[in-house]
Amino acid sequence: MTTTTPPELAEMDRYRYGWADSDVAGATARRGLSEDVVRDISAKKSEPQWMLDLRLKGLRLFGRKPMPDWGSDLTGIDFDNIKYFVRSTEKQATSWDELPEDIRSTYDRLGIPEAEKQRLIAGVAAQYESEVVYHQIREDLEEKGVIFVDTDTGLREHEELFREYFGTVIPTGDNKFAALNTAVWSGGSFIYVPKGVQVDIPLQAYFRINTENMGQFERTLIIADEGSYVHYVEGCTAPIYQSDSLHSAVVEIIVKKNARVRYTTIQNWSNNVYNLVTKRATAAEGATMEWIDGNIGSKVTMKYPAVYLLGEHAKGETLSIAMAGEGQHQDAGAKMVHAAPYTSSAIVSKSIARGGGRTSYRGLIQVQEGAHHSKSTVRCDALLVDTISRSDTYPYVDVREDDVVMGHEATVSKVSDDQLFYLMSRGMAEDEAMAMIVRGFIEPVARELPMEYALELNRLIELQMEGAVG
Amino acid sequence: MTVVEENRTPGDELADTPGATGRAHSHGAGTVPDASRAARRTSFEVADFAVPTGREEEWRFSPFARIKALFEVAAAESAPALEVSAPEGVEVRSGSLEEVGAGTGFVPGDRVAAAAWQAGGQAHLVRIPAEAELDEPVLLTLRGTGGATSGHLVVDAGRHSRATVVLDHVGSGTHRGGVEVRAGDGAQLTFVTLQEWDSGAVQVSQQDVLVGRDATVKHFAVTLGGDVVRLSTNVRYAAPGGDAQCLGLYFSDAGQHLEHRLFVDHEATHCKSYVEYKGALQGETARSVWIGDVLIRAAAEGTETYELNRNLVLTDGARADSVPNLEIETGEIVGAGHASATGRFDDEQLFYLQSRGLAEADARRLVVRGFFADILQRIGVPAVQERLLATIETELETTMPAAAGATVPAAGSSTMPAPAGGQQTDAEKAEEN
Repeated sequence: MTTTTPPELAEMDRYRYGWADSDVAGATARRGLSEDVVRDISAKKSEPQWMLDLRLKGLRLFGRKPMPDWGSDLTGIDFDNIKYFVRSTEKQATSWDELPEDIRSTYDRLGIPEAEKQRLIAGVAAQYESEVVYHQIREDLEEKGVIFVDTDTGLREHEELFREYFGTVIPTGDNKFAALNTAVWSGGSFIYVPKGVQVDIPLQAYFRINTENMGQFERTLIIADEGSYVHYVEGCTAPIYQSDSLHSAVVEIIVKKNARVRYTTIQNWSNNVYNLVTKRATAAEGATMEWIDGNIGSKVTMKYPAVYLLGEHAKGETLSIAMAGEGQHQDAGAKMVHAAPYTSSAIVSKSIARGGGRTSYRGLIQVQEGAHHSKSTVRCDALLVDTISRSDTYPYVDVREDDVVMGHEATVSKVSDDQLFYLMSRGMAEDEAMAMIVRGFIEPVARELPMEYALELNRLIELQMEGAVG
Repeated sequence: MTVVEENRTPGDELADTPGATGRAHSHGAGTVPDASRAARRTSFEVADFAVPTGREEEWRFSPFARIKALFEVAAAESAPALEVSAPEGVEVRSGSLEEVGAGTGFVPGDRVAAAAWQAGGQAHLVRIPAEAELDEPVLLTLRGTGGATSGHLVVDAGRHSRATVVLDHVGSGTHRGGVEVRAGDGAQLTFVTLQEWDSGAVQVSQQDVLVGRDATVKHFAVTLGGDVVRLSTNVRYAAPGGDAQCLGLYFSDAGQHLEHRLFVDHEATHCKSYVEYKGALQGETARSVWIGDVLIRAAAEGTETYELNRNLVLTDGARADSVPNLEIETGEIVGAGHASATGRFDDEQLFYLQSRGLAEADARRLVVRGFFADILQRIGVPAVQERLLATIETELETTMPAAAGATVPAAGSSTMPAPAGGQQTDAEKAEEN
């Protein structure tokens, strides 16, 4: 092995979504956070008083909560330099043609309208800066009572349902960044799937930051009523700027009795975005919650999707994949809390560090008293492809019940010369061989992705293998 | 839905993650987290360590109220009595820290260890001459007599020596102890530390192991007694080629808090480490904490490491924390991995034994014994092994009474089933490529 990143991997550093559109809205947006900013956001959205009160509570708690002194280095975030709200267009569109030219062409380049045309997805939300600019859902789902709107619209049109669940899974003061999100949230998706309704193809959201020093704080709330099923997919990109942006989302999911929710994220922010996200779901009796979490981009990601297993026979699953290149720290993981008997959870984490990047797995399995016959398995594998990268594993396990089965395992390995030699002796070029080893390594997670995302992931890996050594 | 809020654990401080510690409030930019486990402070000065609040990562698992007094230098009033039985040729001396040459393989890593160091008192040296090969173990018994004590022990194994040293903690009182194990080049040393305190005893100790070039050190910790035992073991390598095994066993009863913290710091090239701790918990308030930190520094190419912790929770409400942390700063390693499993009996093993005519209570005891026997056998000192087996036997007698009239084969006999434990087995050891 070499002491630096092989050239075929260095290719990975070429970020394909780094273009920036002209930025009229962002240029005029104000920087910094104050009560005025929070009141202004609320007033622009004509929100009810209770939401403004909640936002102000969030602002107070944000001021009181400490920054984390563990995990990634967050000292680079300048809260006074961030633009907390940027309105890119006055009106939400329901056809791509209605969008301003520059925004439309952005989504064209990302390939979103094409996927919708081909009916690969059941509904699309596109968030540009602070607000959702495009929204569409398949007519038959709407007729069945499925609600899929942006979160601002959700509050306006379904206030009662919204208020019943908002902030119940992740309280305002859960942590500093959840408090910040509560204070300045804007956009995100609000989804309600009625009893027994199966949404057979995924709903999709696409998040794009365009403005430099932008803070994107979307808020997503998903309620899957008894016996329903929904798969929600989100993707994220941003331009490359000299200074940093902040993405701090809160995602709350309520999975009711015997329902199932799958939530897939392919996060490919540019390398100047701090990605600090709180995601948590509650699973009732017989319910299943699945997180599929891909972290490819960003400067720093701290994200640990959680499932609180509250009803008997509830299931939680997290599949996590992280790739860290030069200057990146992916501090990702999962959290499972077993609060009821006969619950089960599984975590599979795969990470690849290269070019001096750092991947960390951080997780918690907690089995509370009374959660007998719980089962949990954790499997973490890390792959290091050079000598300058770094990989950490920080698993926490807390068991307070005798009748449980809990296992954690982790391995860290490098791409071995033997593997490379074997594949090359079968006639493969070195870059092909390397790509095959890496693909094989992430395959258990990749096969759980919707096809177009699995292809995208494979494309990313192939890209890093381009320009092979001799 | 409020149940979610009630479920919050101390770890929930931020972004839904465990591991948060409550350091001073800061608004805005915050602090830079430690780069790795190696960044944690070590110092001989008590003043360099703030008095813990109990929320720090390194203290948050410990029963704070019961160990608070140990943070002050004055807590120790006397040196504990040390009984020594050593084969010929082994040098045993007592004196001040300076007189026994302490501190070359030991630096306090927390306030308690620094306070113990500063309290001074009597230190002991056990020196095995170079190239000596001992057939009999060195037996040391540290007997507490109810008061508060501090002490320091240096075990110095000369180059190419071969020896076994057993340090047995018995009696009562409050003890803070530093132990410094130095294995010279090519030495083969087994160091066994037994915590067999009477109930009521409190011990917070730090044991540092320095492994010389091509030396092999086995550090074996067995903790059965005491109210609170917190043992921190740190392993460092002085030169390439070292091999360290850290093995441990604990059995926590109601009211006991048994905490083992390990840190293996790979800084030299081509060294190996293997850590395996097994614990059982019995009684509603039984508590165990196991932290296993392994750091492979960028320079430590060719490192091979594996960590394993298994817990058997025998009663509802007993709590086992298990945290195997792994930090790796280079890809040029032979292999690294860890596994942690916590669970109850293997139902199939129980069923098998019951189908052979054993009562359930007997079958359960047999499985627990099998779970421990496997690791006990690796101590390599038959007399100690037998005594520990007898102690565990007594614990099992009182906590899981035998069914009347049933006979139980002796532990370690050939009819013993495979050790029980979690469902993840050693066989699934890290794939090393």
